[in-house]
Amino acid sequence: MIDAKKQDRLTFGIGLAVLLFASFSWFYALRFAPSDEAQGEVYRIMYFHVPSAITAFLSSFILLFFSLWTLFKRSSVAASWSKACAEVGFMYTAITLITGSIWGRPTWGVWWEWDARLTTTLILALLYAGYLIFTNSMAPGPQRDRMAAALGLIIAIDIPIIYKSVEWWRTLHQPPSLLRSGGSTMDPEMRSILFLCMFAMFFLAGWLLWLRAINLQLQAKIEEQSHQAR
Amino acid sequence: MKRFLTQYRALLWQALQVEWSNSERWMSPLLFSTTMILLFAFAFGKVDVAFLPQLYIAATYLTASFSLQIAFSRVLEPDTQDRVFDQLRTYPISPSAWFLSKYTIVILLGALILLPTLFLSNLFLNNEGPVSLLNSSVLIVAVLMLLSLGAIGVLLSTMMLRSNAKQILYPLLYFPLTVPVLLSAVESSRMILVDGKDLSYLMSSWLGLLVIFGIMYFTLCLLLFGELVKPE
Repeated sequence: MIDAKKQDRLTFGIGLAVLLFASFSWFYALRFAPSDEAQGEVYRIMYFHVPSAITAFLSSFILLFFSLWTLFKRSSVAASWSKACAEVGFMYTAITLITGSIWGRPTWGVWWEWDARLTTTLILALLYAGYLIFTNSMAPGPQRDRMAAALGLIIAIDIPIIYKSVEWWRTLHQPPSLLRSGGSTMDPEMRSILFLCMFAMFFLAGWLLWLRAINLQLQAKIEEQSHQAR
Repeated sequence: MKRFLTQYRALLWQALQVEWSNSERWMSPLLFSTTMILLFAFAFGKVDVAFLPQLYIAATYLTASFSLQIAFSRVLEPDTQDRVFDQLRTYPISPSAWFLSKYTIVILLGALILLPTLFLSNLFLNNEGPVSLLNSSVLIVAVLMLLSLGAIGVLLSTMMLRSNAKQILYPLLYFPLTVPVLLSAVESSRMILVDGKDLSYLMSSWLGLLVIFGIMYFTLCLLLFGELVKPE
């Protein structure tokens, strides 16, 4: 009981610190980042959109890691982490699509375009949603964990396609300006603020992931005990 | 190796007998495919000749993909009756032989659906059109697409056996996962028919991607199938 209380306090403390850091980074980006020559003030949504997109893609790599762990080690803890990854990944993919749409309206003139990057990000959201529906539609147990892990592996393999799609297909979306051969094309001040926002988003996602994984492990324990009691 | 081949042959023979005894299993997706082609033909109406090849290729592959999905989703259905699937899991059979037998069945069923679909599409959608999908290079592309889709079809079918929501989940997962395959097949066919490119040229672009996806999906599904059918 004492451990649980300690853990609650620790989770709350870390969460508060992470939220403060994230709020600071967003405030700094909105208030102090320089204006963009071409897009004016509207580009500031980038400080939310780009970190969300990177976090969404990063979630799939963490999902890959935990899926492999589940398959090789038969770990139910890793299975909980995998599901938590998919939930966090789905949330960030949804945020990416929404903020991208809001950004697209003033810059492209449309809320949605069947552009390669947008379409593949939507596919990622559907895959995350499919993964979550799949895990919820099966009875808990090692078999569900194994099947979900197999699905997680396949989903993670789709991610390189999303990343490379901008280069492969004709697209409206701007090419990568941060991670590209020949160095970044972004203004150094904007880049620094973007990195700050990215770190804040990573910490926030990490905290959410941790929180959710703990909840899922507790849920699994309760399910197991109620199953034994029957 | 001999034991593996014996198991593969036995499983394939059993699956072939099941499919042969019930022709509805491949006839209904084929009928579905015919209906879709007719619907596309009505929806398109009179199309400008300049746009026809692109529309024709996309509609054909889309129809094939939908029909194949229906066939693939039912591939393990006979095994679930009389608990055959659960019994097979406890037998000392090679999961690879099991997967390959299912994969072969899926490819055979898929070919029974895909080839008539190409023919029907050529007849209804491309009436007197400038290009024809009944072309050896395009057929190779279509078969490569089938080989890629078949692997993922078997794996998803196995995954969905225990799911309460398989009717909705199967297409929800199948279509997003097969988008790269479908896209590369459509683009390869378009480049062959419209741009006049040959297969060797396409190997460094869309066809290469299709081949890579085929190999990747096949290997991955073969490895994962063993994990999915392991007894608890």
